[in-house]
Amino acid sequence: MEPSTLPMPKLKHHASTLWKRILLHRYLYLMLLPCIAFFIIFAYIPMGGLLLAFKEYKFNKGILGSPWVGLQYFKTFFNSYQSTELIKNTLIISGMKLFIYLPFPIILALMFNEIRSRWFKNVSQSILYLPHFLSWVVVVGLIQRILAPDTGLFNQVVADMGGDGSTFFMMEPKYFYQIMFGSHLWKSIGWDSIIYMAAISGINPDMYEAAKIDGAGKLREIWSITIPSIMPTIVILFILSLGNILSAGFDQIYLLRTPGNMQLSDILDTYIIRMGLQSGQYGYATAVGMMQGLIGLVLVVIANRISRRVSETSLW
Amino acid sequence: MNKLWVKLFAISLLVVVLISGCTSNNTGNDKGNANAGKEADGQKNTAASDTDTTKPATWIADRKIKGLVFMGTDDYTEDMNPEVKAKIKELTGVDFEIQIMKADHSIDGLVAGLASGDLPDFIAFYLNNSGRPEMPVVLKAAREGMFTDLAPLMKDTKVYSKYLQDGFLPLDTQFGVMFRPEFNGSAYFAHMNINREGGYTGGVPLIGGPFIRKDIAEALNVDPRTITTTDQLYDLAKKIKAGNFKDKNGKDVTPIGPGYWGGHEIGRLFQDLEWGADDQRIMQSKDGQILHEAETPYALKRVDFVKKLLSEKLLQPEFFTMDESRATEGALNGSWAIIADMHSMQDFEQDGHYLPLGPLNNVDSPYQMKVDFKSGYSAWAIPTTTENPEDIMKFADFLASRTGKLLWKYGLEGRDYTLDADGNPLVKQEVIDLKAKDPNEAKKLGFDGVGNSWGNILGSTDNDNTADFGEDQWGDKLNQGKSKGAKVIADYWNWADKRKNAEVIDAYTPTSFLGEFANGTELKAAFDNYNDSLVQAYYSKSEDDAKKILDNALKQLRAAGLDDYLKLVGQKNADPKTKVKF
Repeated sequence: MEPSTLPMPKLKHHASTLWKRILLHRYLYLMLLPCIAFFIIFAYIPMGGLLLAFKEYKFNKGILGSPWVGLQYFKTFFNSYQSTELIKNTLIISGMKLFIYLPFPIILALMFNEIRSRWFKNVSQSILYLPHFLSWVVVVGLIQRILAPDTGLFNQVVADMGGDGSTFFMMEPKYFYQIMFGSHLWKSIGWDSIIYMAAISGINPDMYEAAKIDGAGKLREIWSITIPSIMPTIVILFILSLGNILSAGFDQIYLLRTPGNMQLSDILDTYIIRMGLQSGQYGYATAVGMMQGLIGLVLVVIANRISRRVSETSLW
Repeated sequence: MNKLWVKLFAISLLVVVLISGCTSNNTGNDKGNANAGKEADGQKNTAASDTDTTKPATWIADRKIKGLVFMGTDDYTEDMNPEVKAKIKELTGVDFEIQIMKADHSIDGLVAGLASGDLPDFIAFYLNNSGRPEMPVVLKAAREGMFTDLAPLMKDTKVYSKYLQDGFLPLDTQFGVMFRPEFNGSAYFAHMNINREGGYTGGVPLIGGPFIRKDIAEALNVDPRTITTTDQLYDLAKKIKAGNFKDKNGKDVTPIGPGYWGGHEIGRLFQDLEWGADDQRIMQSKDGQILHEAETPYALKRVDFVKKLLSEKLLQPEFFTMDESRATEGALNGSWAIIADMHSMQDFEQDGHYLPLGPLNNVDSPYQMKVDFKSGYSAWAIPTTTENPEDIMKFADFLASRTGKLLWKYGLEGRDYTLDADGNPLVKQEVIDLKAKDPNEAKKLGFDGVGNSWGNILGSTDNDNTADFGEDQWGDKLNQGKSKGAKVIADYWNWADKRKNAEVIDAYTPTSFLGEFANGTELKAAFDNYNDSLVQAYYSKSEDDAKKILDNALKQLRAAGLDDYLKLVGQKNADPKTKVKF
């Protein structure tokens, strides 16, 4: 009997100190409430809709009343002739956005950090943040006009330089990745560099002082102090973005898609919209969407575990 | 102190429970009474409509009818004129209100609306024919008991009861849309815009298709009506290019530009290389075989032709993808010598500065006009959640009657029109002038003639404007200038002769049966893929690449069940109730 009764007071003590701590920081917890409410309402409650992935949705019966179909939709998807291409395209696009894009905002943040003129720094930062606030419809509209055959700015410059100014860039698959990546970079790099800027500004200046005394140049400072200091931020952001590995960015790809590049630009997100909204197959679309989420979750968990072992930096 | 608070709290809680308990019962009673009252009111209203002579004969019920419209704001309007609304209320007792659900694609809105389950008294949606993408969605909703059976409600109506008469509805509307055999005499959607007379084509005919700039045709000494093949079209395009014609801004014209409404495939421009209609691509060959275009040599022939046009810069390079604003701008500026698709009723064309080109021959026969016996355009349905659905049907019947049509087509007597000796409306000149001067202000008058189309949704059926109002279009009698250009074009195109020799068709489109085909969704995706593949092939680098692209598309079509579907189309075509138009 003794061993089972022994830990009780300890647990009680622990609970009471926890409660005391909560009371002590009650205003902070109060500030946390809206955030928790937001996630419950907009993230956790809608998860109930995932039931649809296993049900044949009936308009009159709703999600709960519709009959179960088991794993039928998952089987249908993997038996579909489109599934391989859809997964391949999605992985390529999101892989480019995840791995190739990763260093760009970091490099930009490092560059911003080295600018000494406050005025120039502010102006250049504002210019680079601005594209983030444009919708993809506007951005793709601009791209279409700039790259239009014959009349587009780019083709006119090419023609003026003696080249062939009639290339229909948007219609040719070989230019799709460049256009997709270039526009993503242009739109996101400024905004994404903010978080690295914040991490850099948190580095203790004494470290730079010490490095200078030791005779380190600028590049050495960046390499040996700045990058290692912001490494935890980089790792955490990378792990988090792994969760979206099967979401390659719906709006951009949907708008950039033309009959010419469709074999590269048909991705899971566009497929879900086509099947779910335009064909009314909610169950099927939910199943594909759920699969995206689950694979993302598994990848985040694995990457987090590896990161914890290797670098001692992890989400939890 | 604490105990005192507990006691006070307990007592107040008891009081609240007691009061709320009593109130709850009362509320229940009140509710019951209210319902009883509502029923009594209903009975009173019905009784009143039966006995009270002050109520007009068109009286329906003192209630609100609200509709949710899954169609574009270009076609329909939700802002109604208060005086017109008051008139509706006075005549029928109904407080009518519609809301248009805005969505990128109307079908997205429809699917989301149905899934939400929160629908008002009626819904309306596009449904040209049973092959339209909306059909499987509304069919699923009907099968799952979302809609009220309209057939029994139609029995006691004046106009809609015609839907129950043999021969009034076209075949597709009757057996494909409304009275589908699976529904055993029930009908869950009312298909709209059914003409009273079969083959009716109205007063001033609308000529659509490719048009050429008149000055260019005259400068080249070409009669556009003699262009009947794509070879002739090619020669004409070359002549245009050699002619160095300029647009309004002094820039070189493009020989063949996209359609007025934006870039997409336009069948009528390449008609002798198109297998079936460009939204169907299924046709019966002369030896009776039903084939998809991908199985014929015409796909590759058209690809070669388009590639030739593109490489020689005779076709606007963004012909298939250009956005509407740029395409329209080009048409208005005269930048396209040939506009691939427009029509003679468009405002910018009323001076006739573009002339219709062709028509081009069919792939296997010379051109012959084809007129649908009757054709639908949109549909509406009453959700099962609607109380007293018979009121909605009565109201729709009122709007479809001459009195209703007069109201939503012509507005208010005295304010917007007067009646002539025959009892037909004579539109006021000031309304016509206002429409010409300030269309937006005119629209606020709130009727179809000035572009405010709320009444079509429930009321546009059993149409015969000439018989009902003595003119085919609103204001024709006074507004002689309005469709003058269109009339000149129709005469130029020899419309009357072509109409005389036209084939009147009452049949289904080949893709109408996708909804009942087991692999319908996959096959629909493969059809879409084929259309995209065609455009991809137009822009491919070589003929071999184009062939590969088309072969792949055909493989996907076959994998999705094309052969079985074509067999099904053949079976349907053999049944006189489901004849197919190719």
